[in-house]
Amino acid sequence: MDITVTVNGAKRSGAPEARKTLADYLRDDLELTGTHLGCEHGVCGACTVIVDGRAVRSCLMLAVQADGSEVTTVEGLAADGEMAPLQQALWDSHGFQCGFCTPGFLMQATAFLDGHPDADEASLREALSGNICRCTGYQSIVDGVLLAAERMRQG
Amino acid sequence: MKLPPFEYVVPTSVDEALALLAEHGDDANVLAGGQSLIPLLALRLARPAVLIDINRVGGLDGLSATNGQVYAGALTREYAAEESSVVADGVPLLAAALPFIGHEAIRSRGTIGGSLAHADPAGELPAVACALDAEFVVRSSSGERVVASADWFEGYLSTARQADELLTEVRFPKATAATGVSFDEVARRHGDFAIVALATSLTIDGGAISDARLAFAGASDVPVRASKAEQMLAGQKPSTELFAEAAQQAAADLDPPADLHGTADYRKKVAAALVRRGLEAAADAAGRR
Amino acid sequence: MAEILAERYTGASIKRSEDPRILTGRGRYVDDIKLPGMLHAAFVRSPLAHGKVLSVDVSAARELPGVVGVYTGADVESMTVPGPDLLASMMGGGVPMPEFTLLATDKVRLVGDPVVLVVAESRALAEDGAELVEVDYDELPAVANAATALDPSSTPVFDNLGNNIARPHSRNEFGDVASAFANADRTYEFTVNVHRHQNVPMEGRACVADFDAASGSMTMYAATQSVHVAKMAVAMRLGLEQDKVRVLAGDIGGSFGLKIGASREELAVAAASRVLGRPVKWVEDRGENLTTSGQAREESFDVRVAVSNDGDLLALDVNMVIDTGAYPGMGGMVPNIIEGMLPGPYKMQALGFESTGAITNKATYVAYRGPWASETFVRERIIDVIAKDLGLDPLEMRLRNVVDNTDPPANMITGRPLVGVTTKESMQRVAELVDVEAFRRRQEAERANGRYLGLGMATFIEAAPGPRSAESGQGLMGMEQMRLRLDDDGIVVLFTGQMPHGQSHQTTLAQIAADEFGVPFEQVRVVVGDTDQVPFGLTGGSRSATMTGGVALHGARQLKAKVLDFAANLMEANADDLDIVDGRVEVRGDPSSAITVTEVAHQAGDVDLEVQASYDGGEGGWSGGTHCAIVEVDVETGLVKIERYVVSEDCGALINPAVVEGQIRGGVAQGIGAVLLERSAYDENGNFQSATFMDYLLPTACDIPRIEIDHLETVPLDAHVNFRGVGEGGMIVAPPTLVNAIEDALTPFGVRIFEQHLPPARILELIETPT
Repeated sequence: MDITVTVNGAKRSGAPEARKTLADYLRDDLELTGTHLGCEHGVCGACTVIVDGRAVRSCLMLAVQADGSEVTTVEGLAADGEMAPLQQALWDSHGFQCGFCTPGFLMQATAFLDGHPDADEASLREALSGNICRCTGYQSIVDGVLLAAERMRQG
Repeated sequence: MKLPPFEYVVPTSVDEALALLAEHGDDANVLAGGQSLIPLLALRLARPAVLIDINRVGGLDGLSATNGQVYAGALTREYAAEESSVVADGVPLLAAALPFIGHEAIRSRGTIGGSLAHADPAGELPAVACALDAEFVVRSSSGERVVASADWFEGYLSTARQADELLTEVRFPKATAATGVSFDEVARRHGDFAIVALATSLTIDGGAISDARLAFAGASDVPVRASKAEQMLAGQKPSTELFAEAAQQAAADLDPPADLHGTADYRKKVAAALVRRGLEAAADAAGRR
Repeated sequence: MAEILAERYTGASIKRSEDPRILTGRGRYVDDIKLPGMLHAAFVRSPLAHGKVLSVDVSAARELPGVVGVYTGADVESMTVPGPDLLASMMGGGVPMPEFTLLATDKVRLVGDPVVLVVAESRALAEDGAELVEVDYDELPAVANAATALDPSSTPVFDNLGNNIARPHSRNEFGDVASAFANADRTYEFTVNVHRHQNVPMEGRACVADFDAASGSMTMYAATQSVHVAKMAVAMRLGLEQDKVRVLAGDIGGSFGLKIGASREELAVAAASRVLGRPVKWVEDRGENLTTSGQAREESFDVRVAVSNDGDLLALDVNMVIDTGAYPGMGGMVPNIIEGMLPGPYKMQALGFESTGAITNKATYVAYRGPWASETFVRERIIDVIAKDLGLDPLEMRLRNVVDNTDPPANMITGRPLVGVTTKESMQRVAELVDVEAFRRRQEAERANGRYLGLGMATFIEAAPGPRSAESGQGLMGMEQMRLRLDDDGIVVLFTGQMPHGQSHQTTLAQIAADEFGVPFEQVRVVVGDTDQVPFGLTGGSRSATMTGGVALHGARQLKAKVLDFAANLMEANADDLDIVDGRVEVRGDPSSAITVTEVAHQAGDVDLEVQASYDGGEGGWSGGTHCAIVEVDVETGLVKIERYVVSEDCGALINPAVVEGQIRGGVAQGIGAVLLERSAYDENGNFQSATFMDYLLPTACDIPRIEIDHLETVPLDAHVNFRGVGEGGMIVAPPTLVNAIEDALTPFGVRIFEQHLPPARILELIETPT
């Protein structure tokens, strides 16, 4: 099926096989390999991207279903080579270790902060509880997101 | 873990969807939010020849309140219901249950109708529908029928929906001002399917319980009401002792399944705790204690 | 975040140089590799725990459009050369070696055993092809647990062994065990069980094998903890000369001990690439990862303990049985480490230790973060149980028995000198931080309200790298190599055999080298993951802080000396008078004389500014610490909430505190997961029951509390290098810490706990039927 998806601001057209997930389409067809596959059954959150303003699991959505949608992936967070405040804060906070879960956390946190700029730690942890990190014990990630929120509030 | 091949069709109207269902019947799966179906496909546990994607069917989503009922279009996303004042005001039990469904990113796609048509007995929404005696509107090319909640859930992942039918709407009764609700569950982790969940609704008039509703998820192959416990409560004044008795009754009446996450005995104990806590919370919410 | 102190990078939480790529989606993991003509692999796997393979029909799969190659076990045998499993022979420690093939030929030995390899134009097509393969099996009785395996009538999993003994029974005694027990006031007997759980890195095993027929050489892109071990395995089993194999690794999505060398599947994929002359990618999916990649820790311990009435721990006598799974991995050698480490930092007159390894129809026992961790669990668990029986606070009993840091040091009864251990200090520090007294008052008060709080502590030491052997004078970890070079653009390049997969070596090694050489951090580059460039090495065993940190430090000094020798000619100065400060070579005390390191490098021309360094661990020493958890148990649901978690840790001098703390927290999180959530579950027929992330439960941000970390002032043992390993400690000590806290909370119910896995249902059972 022919589709056109706006990915990170650019219109991309293709004809993926119907069974191809959005995650595989981003990775294979568009070569945006920042989106990672950690379980392919919707539990680990590594493949989280933003579709039409909301965080979704790209392994649980067909590519053809994204026809006409706007998709943001981890590659779309930094503008003009400059890290987004969330990325910068996670760098400053030593947020991650192996980095495999990172794109999912970044996209989930981006969507969450968008709707909850004043989020406290408990609600942030709940919002991030669908993303699994095996390395960090989460504290550095939570701290990084809270730091980003604080910086963004201060403008 | 890649999806098996299937034919993919995207109707844009209910009639078109119904025609496709009539044509393909049991060979087809309806794809709504996909948050349960796509994992089943990825694990190759579901092998439909045809996938009918209803996400572009017009008029299937949206929430409205009329005549003492709240109508939820089957394609209403769970996040939209979560954010809806229609739900918050009209069906507080549904509002209370929604945040327990999976995680934010799951609720971005998951739909009210999809969850109820999938009918996972550990799911939150089936328990809510069961507690509130929700009504299920299904359509086929030969017409529309309304199925009572008591008749909807037939077994594990199995409902009264026929292969040529589409669930188009779910109708929930509106809560009255005297109704207090609670939704709570015990799960291994936040966001997991419940080991046991309980939807509680208590209406208290003049200091006595006029209507008590208790529905469990995770306690059978379908969501189940604690009927005897509800009868014990009806007409009584709320009290800690009464709630404890109701909890014992509700747990005693269960014959729950066992799995990796909990034995049958464990589920019964948790059920008792949930009933006690749920009744206390619902009674508090009803503002009469 | 600490600012850079005293103009040194070492010791400061320098931001990671790995992060700009990782945070922007430009990390490069195996699955991100896309080569021209690349094919994709999937495996047909056994649905049975144990069975004979009667026939394999691949005809339908071969005919599926898009399928390029289908290889049975016999096919793969003809495409490879026979040989021992490299890893098993490296780690086996002289135990009997079973005979088996890369893919199953005659038998399947666990659910998920690979039987047929299907290679196709896409992974989806390869999976479609795999579904079309028909295998007939004759099911055999499953050897589902160690008890069955040790029954001589059980069906041998490996015919050549004739039984299911992975490691024959052996017994060793240290000190006079019999008299210690005979003279004890009291003796206790317990059986302690540790359950099977597993590594579960977020990225599973993965490789791309790319055979170039023209040159006869194999390039393998691997997710591995050691590119050289992977290379050795590929060369050996494909019958290639070592110089015809190159293994490359980029970013790796975690491992925790799982990805050492090359697995059976990866070797089969490499063989397929050679036959096809095209690159073949295999990325293990989550089901494969959980079912077959490897598991760890299923062990039982019959423990006898001799104590005095005052709580002196006199002797232990332990009988361990380890369930090593089907194919050989690390299980054979784990009892050796457990034996050596069982006394921990405690005074003890005697230890008896016997062990037996069982072969079962389960996934292979692999290394998992602190593979010997069960010794800490057993010891720290029984101390709590005995202390309470004696009416002592467990902390009091620990303090009574722990060694003092004396000169000369006390020795473990199993031999090693406990030089420089700060266990006692860490216990006291943790007790202070949590205020045990105040907690006990609160615990008492809350019990009256029906709330059950508990406090648990546990302590560990880890030989990271361990002291020099008293007899041989050698370090425990062998030698670590590093090549260092000043490139002609002025960059100091470190070539290390370490293969980071989250440990931040590209940052930490650069910190050390920058300080020692005298250049800014940004002027140091760390090269990893290429067998053509880096020396032999392996990331694992909490090795790199001391061993690689040490070789970086000494190597940078060596390189600096070489550069100064060369610069001395340029500058017409005496090398002894020169120093490198902030990237500039200058005559000491005369900054005006300076020329930049970059300029020196430019001038070098044919002069080789390169050194080979090696390091033996120096004086070594122990890392260790004490952890404390405060929990609340909901006695109606069995749910455990961790209210507070406090760590006092001594890993010597810190290279990068944020990295150290990340390692500790990550390890603790895995330990919490093991106790509350994670279990590799098999039924009585050997069917694997936790093959998805809905059944194998990893902890989330809601399950792991904030973890407070206090760093102890270390005892410097070495004149130069006092960094100690910290990768495993959290995982080693968190389980007993948490279980001790849970048992403490359940004291009013008379609960004693002799197992490690405590899901809510189990907690309610324990309350109902106290052991």
